[in-house]
Amino acid sequence: MDALVAGAEAFIQVFRTAADVFVGFTTGIIPIVVVFLTAVNAVVKFIGEERVEGFAKWASQEGWMYVPVRYTLLAFVAVFMLTNPVCYTFGTFLPEKNKPAFYDAAVSFVHPITGIFPHANGGELFVWLGIAAGVEIVAPDMVTALAVRYLLAGLVVILIRGIVTDIIFSMMWKSRQGGGA
Amino acid sequence: MQALIERIGRSVGGVVGTLFQAGRDAVDLCLKTIIPFMAFVTFVIGLILETGVGDIIANGIKGFASSLGGLMIVCVICAIPILSPLLGPGAVIAQIVGVLVGTEIGRGNIDVSMALPALFAINPQVGCDFVPVGLALGEAEPETVEVGVPAVLTSRMITGPISVVVGYLFALGL
Repeated sequence: MDALVAGAEAFIQVFRTAADVFVGFTTGIIPIVVVFLTAVNAVVKFIGEERVEGFAKWASQEGWMYVPVRYTLLAFVAVFMLTNPVCYTFGTFLPEKNKPAFYDAAVSFVHPITGIFPHANGGELFVWLGIAAGVEIVAPDMVTALAVRYLLAGLVVILIRGIVTDIIFSMMWKSRQGGGA
Repeated sequence: MQALIERIGRSVGGVVGTLFQAGRDAVDLCLKTIIPFMAFVTFVIGLILETGVGDIIANGIKGFASSLGGLMIVCVICAIPILSPLLGPGAVIAQIVGVLVGTEIGRGNIDVSMALPALFAINPQVGCDFVPVGLALGEAEPETVEVGVPAVLTSRMITGPISVVVGYLFALGL
């Protein structure tokens, strides 16, 4: 009998702990996300699609000077303004040969951005939040600093991804043409 | 005069309407995606914290997640072109592993300095399942998609480990 009670106690304890964590998330995360989402949604609407598209056209020009613009700034603006998954439509403005690299850069940014701008990928917040929740317990004052660094490191990573994917794509493209189909 | 009042009224109405719609979208997203996922995640956390499962996972993860080399091994495995499209969908795997690693950081089993490299190590497969759709959204030609998919997947084998190192460098001095 005692064992049964202990078993039931242990069983229900899982859900009590889970519920405590849930309450913590609900009061800690939801309010700020809702308010933030509202603000950014409004800003995005006020800026308007036309202006964003104008910028995308400017940033999509050919030439090596535009490589950092394309794979950091354009990807950032796409993910920030259009959010996942609409952001990939910005590939439309790019030359064919740069589309895979742009996709690679943009998609690699949909998680680093969530530390500071959760609206950009609301459905996949827990890549960041899962780790941040642990850091919150051990070093609460470090979470914001970590979010900023995640964002900056993300920008560096997407630039590297863009460049590397561009190179690999052009190599594969050439060998395909050369091999003859 | 009347025209002026009408204009003011209309633009104020427009602003309020936009803000209201923004709020509605925000709450919608919260209710339909964030809270359901939160429920799922908190259940997993409850299981980890209250049962022995946590210790088993902890021992498994600790070996990999507490050194740069271990994280790079995890990253290379996740980036294998056959595995990466399978691990990608909805970032579910990355989110679960994120929660697991985060829980271990919270319990003090993994050092905080590993948080940033870990964020990249668990996620080299991001979007690998979505390459054809993503390229189609960018109105790419079918030939571009055909070559682009393997190009992105191959590229991740190289840029995955690099991203872990970048994360490690950015975490220095935190």
